[in-house]
Amino acid sequence: MDTIRWLARYIRPYSTSWTVGSLLTVVVALLNMVQPYISGLIVDFVINERRVDLLIPLLLTMIGSVLIRTFFRYRYQVRFEAISQDVLFQIRGDLYRKLQELDFSFFNHTRTGDIMARMTGDTDAIRHSIAWVYFNILDNIVLFISSLIFMGTIEWRLTLSLLIVTPFIALFTVLLSSRANRAFYEIRESFSRLNSMVEENIRGNKVVKAFANEAYEEEKFKKVNDDYKESNMQSASISKRYLPLLETFASFMSVIAIGFGGWLVLANEMSVGDLVTFTGLIWMINLPMRNLGGHMNDLQRLFGGTTKIREMLIIEPQIPIEQRKKADRIHGEVEFQDVSFAFPDDPEQLVLDHVSFKAHPGETIGILGETGSGKSTLVNLISRFFDPTEGRVLIDGVDVREWNVIDLREDITVVMQDAFLFSDTIQSNISYSFPQTPIEAVEEVAEVADAKEFIEKMPEKYATYLGEQGSGLSGGQKQRISLARGLLKNPAILILDDTTSAVDMETEVKIQRGMEDISQERTTFIIANRLSSVKDADQILILSQGEIIERGTHEELLAKEGAYYRIYEEQLGQGE
Amino acid sequence: MDQVNENKKEKESLNVDNYKRIGSYLKPYSKAVVALLLVVLLANILMIMGPYLTSIVIDEVIPRGDSTLLVIIVVAYTAITILNGWTIRYRQYNISLLGQNVLQDIRSDLFTHIQKLSFTFFDTRPHGKILIRVVDYINNLSNILSSGLINVISDVLSILVTLTIMLVIDVRLTLYSLILLPILFWVTMIIKNKQRVAYDRLSDKQANLNAYIHESIAGIKTTQSFTRERFNHDVFSDVSRQQKDAWMDAVKIQLLLGPIVQNIASITVALVYFVGIRGLGVDVSTGVLIAFVGYVNNFWNPIINIGNFYNSLVSGTVYLARVFEMLDIPPAIEDAEDAFEMPPVKGEVIFQNVEFGYEADQTIFENLSFHVKPGETIALVGPTGAGKSTIINLMSRFYDIRAGAILVDGIDIRDVTVHSLRKQIGVMLQETFIFSGSILENIRYGDLEATEEEVIEAAKVVRAHDFIKDLSRGYHTRVQERGSTLSAGQRQLISFARTLLADPKVLILDEATSSIDTQTEILLQEGLDRLLEGRTAFIVAHRLSTIRNSDRIFYIGDRRILEAGTHEELMAQRGYYYDLYKTQSDLLKGV
Repeated sequence: MDTIRWLARYIRPYSTSWTVGSLLTVVVALLNMVQPYISGLIVDFVINERRVDLLIPLLLTMIGSVLIRTFFRYRYQVRFEAISQDVLFQIRGDLYRKLQELDFSFFNHTRTGDIMARMTGDTDAIRHSIAWVYFNILDNIVLFISSLIFMGTIEWRLTLSLLIVTPFIALFTVLLSSRANRAFYEIRESFSRLNSMVEENIRGNKVVKAFANEAYEEEKFKKVNDDYKESNMQSASISKRYLPLLETFASFMSVIAIGFGGWLVLANEMSVGDLVTFTGLIWMINLPMRNLGGHMNDLQRLFGGTTKIREMLIIEPQIPIEQRKKADRIHGEVEFQDVSFAFPDDPEQLVLDHVSFKAHPGETIGILGETGSGKSTLVNLISRFFDPTEGRVLIDGVDVREWNVIDLREDITVVMQDAFLFSDTIQSNISYSFPQTPIEAVEEVAEVADAKEFIEKMPEKYATYLGEQGSGLSGGQKQRISLARGLLKNPAILILDDTTSAVDMETEVKIQRGMEDISQERTTFIIANRLSSVKDADQILILSQGEIIERGTHEELLAKEGAYYRIYEEQLGQGE
Repeated sequence: MDQVNENKKEKESLNVDNYKRIGSYLKPYSKAVVALLLVVLLANILMIMGPYLTSIVIDEVIPRGDSTLLVIIVVAYTAITILNGWTIRYRQYNISLLGQNVLQDIRSDLFTHIQKLSFTFFDTRPHGKILIRVVDYINNLSNILSSGLINVISDVLSILVTLTIMLVIDVRLTLYSLILLPILFWVTMIIKNKQRVAYDRLSDKQANLNAYIHESIAGIKTTQSFTRERFNHDVFSDVSRQQKDAWMDAVKIQLLLGPIVQNIASITVALVYFVGIRGLGVDVSTGVLIAFVGYVNNFWNPIINIGNFYNSLVSGTVYLARVFEMLDIPPAIEDAEDAFEMPPVKGEVIFQNVEFGYEADQTIFENLSFHVKPGETIALVGPTGAGKSTIINLMSRFYDIRAGAILVDGIDIRDVTVHSLRKQIGVMLQETFIFSGSILENIRYGDLEATEEEVIEAAKVVRAHDFIKDLSRGYHTRVQERGSTLSAGQRQLISFARTLLADPKVLILDEATSSIDTQTEILLQEGLDRLLEGRTAFIVAHRLSTIRNSDRIFYIGDRRILEAGTHEELMAQRGYYYDLYKTQSDLLKGV
């Protein structure tokens, strides 16, 4: 019932159209009786009483009524289709908006295939319910009631006797729907697993091939594919148990009509003509009963499909993207005050352990540290992709939690280590933050990122189309495009998270020089493993197991002869 | 988003081949199909029995006042109803089973097929569009394959029976009732063509929508850090609206068929009444006329059903064509017909005058030749984009070369099966990919038979063990496809361990340690040195220490190898490598 109420909210804007459609449905259901009625009139008047003059008017009425009925039916079908598409459009839009709001912790734990299933397969159950199930149920209700009234006026005892079967039908319907519910939920879960498996296989196709593990993948696929079939068959088994029972009991109405009706005629309680009419109408009362099971199945599919959609819509991101306090441009002062951080699923493991430091506007901070020492986490706290478990992160002296997330991120750019490029042109990728950027500006940042040269060597230059995730480019090329994209945003705080790991040192230096030329008052964080990337920084932080173990400038740190010094020696290639 | 608006303009007719192919999928289940048809036939007979028994009651029982016969009929009718219930039960389940079996087979064929397709296939189209074919499009076929097909056969049967009875009763009236049939065919053809175009468009729009959603999810971190949410939402709304509009266009056409058939049917009934009553050369009795009108209805109802089936068939084949189209893409790399298993590799690698380019108009290498002895470690250096990764792609035969030959142990790699080749060449690709599952499973991907101890051993060699053991659930920690809370360096270590576990004789490391810090790398190097003994290795790296440690260095540039030799030799040459090395160490020292 919650589902219905939830759906009703989406349908409300179209309530006028909905009402008109419903009225048309009722009218059409009633018009269904005109044709048999006219046929009766033709037999009674034209054929039996030889009133041939009535033939043409009656035939025209018949043709006319069918024309009107089919026209109305077409109109309401299209109307409900339109409503269903509008509703779907809204729901998809809401899901998409939610998707954009949710924070990293959600995506770290939800498979892409699952989300895809919610936005495609699950929404289809909603469409089907509005554009088919709803008006068919309405049509059947009208049919049932009107036939009940109609038949009741002919012979009420016989009509009542038909209703003997209804308790059975009700019982089976209830049983069916309670079992079907679980089965449909299982189907959609299984669909989601299938989706996720295939999605992952497609994305990891290079690894699959590199290890020649196709057979293993096919085995994995077989499992989810079989499982999907099984869960569908599970639901078919439930239908197999109850649907035939429903149909059989509904068909017993005909047996009752013949048996009890025949007896009534024999006992002179009813005329033969009435019995003929009665049996002729029996399908009208019978049909809605027989359809009941199918409708129940459809409704359960709807409930199964919407559960997951609603679950996703009510997730509240821990870092809400709200429109609060439109701030001035960030100056770029960043301060960590005793910051600790642990991921919610492993609260014991401190990724950052009481980290404190301060960066003044315009400074460059280099961050070094072992794999998994918390470098990326540290910078993720600046643009508030996560909130610290303890301590405070201040930007321009204000806790980041006080900032409007959008404002914050507009002035901070993170160029991430796994450069994600979109399947689009190079130009659109670089101008991702400002899609209307003129090509000159795009070229300018491309030059700074040392991407200009290789881009211009490509046959279509900036209009070159990249495959999904930038495939077709080398790692270094991807990183440089991603850097250009970050530079175009002209942020107050620029975070380079191991951005140049795949480019050679010469290129890196060229990039650094270029960046110095264009950066005005900009705070820059550089995470790197190569000392050449960080050695000119105003302050270098060395992280180990979430703690800052050394800090200072290149010279200061060399003088210390500590961890930094050892890295330096090593990278130089054990001395000349 | 041009890609999203891109539409394929292929006009493929509803060709017979597609139906033949569906037929071939039904073939393994032909027994089930025949059994179903028999049951459907039985159900049709049972359905006629109802009205027949009713007419006996009215014509025989009541006039004769025969209550015994009434009881007999009630009993018989009850039996028929129950028997009919059984046929429903049988159909219900077995039709689903048939449909599901066929869908399972098609899906499985498609999945197996895409495993064989080249990198190019995956690189040149949005992944969401591939996904929609394997998963969603195939689902669209379920109704056609199951209930649709069976019902249509039963409808055809009932049309034939009805037509025969009509012809027996009165040939002329039958002809009158068929007079509008050509109009029906004509209208159906028009609708069919429009519908096909509309569904073609719809399936494109659906694929676009899917692709956009898919990429939005994959790139969400980038989107959020660039605060592009609002803009993306607008793009999404646009794509979503296009899908919606395409749906409405398709449905408006599709829904037309029903009303048209019904109106033609009602006009036909009127015509039969008119002709029957007004004579017009046709002289029939009242009883015959009433019966005849009944049959005309019997005749048109199945036609309406067939029309509906045809409708869904038209839309279904649009999806099916897309599925088959993918099945027809030839794999770029195929085993030669007489391909044999690669014997255990010793590790000699020879490139002979290799010419290659990813696209026809582009040449990455022309005349690339080198000879690597078993057990050698080769460092590949050179500017980004020079083709270092390409050499690696060629060696594992991810692409086929245009001219020349690549020999491993003297055997042309095109002569052996791809599977046996790749099993013995371990590549660690630049992009690390983590499957959702445990860390253990992720490393084990390199050798599916490996024990937990072997996995841990490999992890220890590459120093992944150090961080894994600190995780709360150790090797059983679950990671998601995006690598979730693992850092890039950690992901690299896992994928490194995976490669080592495969125990390849030829090892290729493409920027394997780019995200790994120096300390870890030193430790890793120790383990690696031990491991590299007796193995041929190709290493792409930027770090001098890694490069210096190798046996030989190839400087790649200008579509070939510009310099080759040991570190000392190349330094002495004072060429490209010297310049590279000099700049780098100067930069580091801050000169």
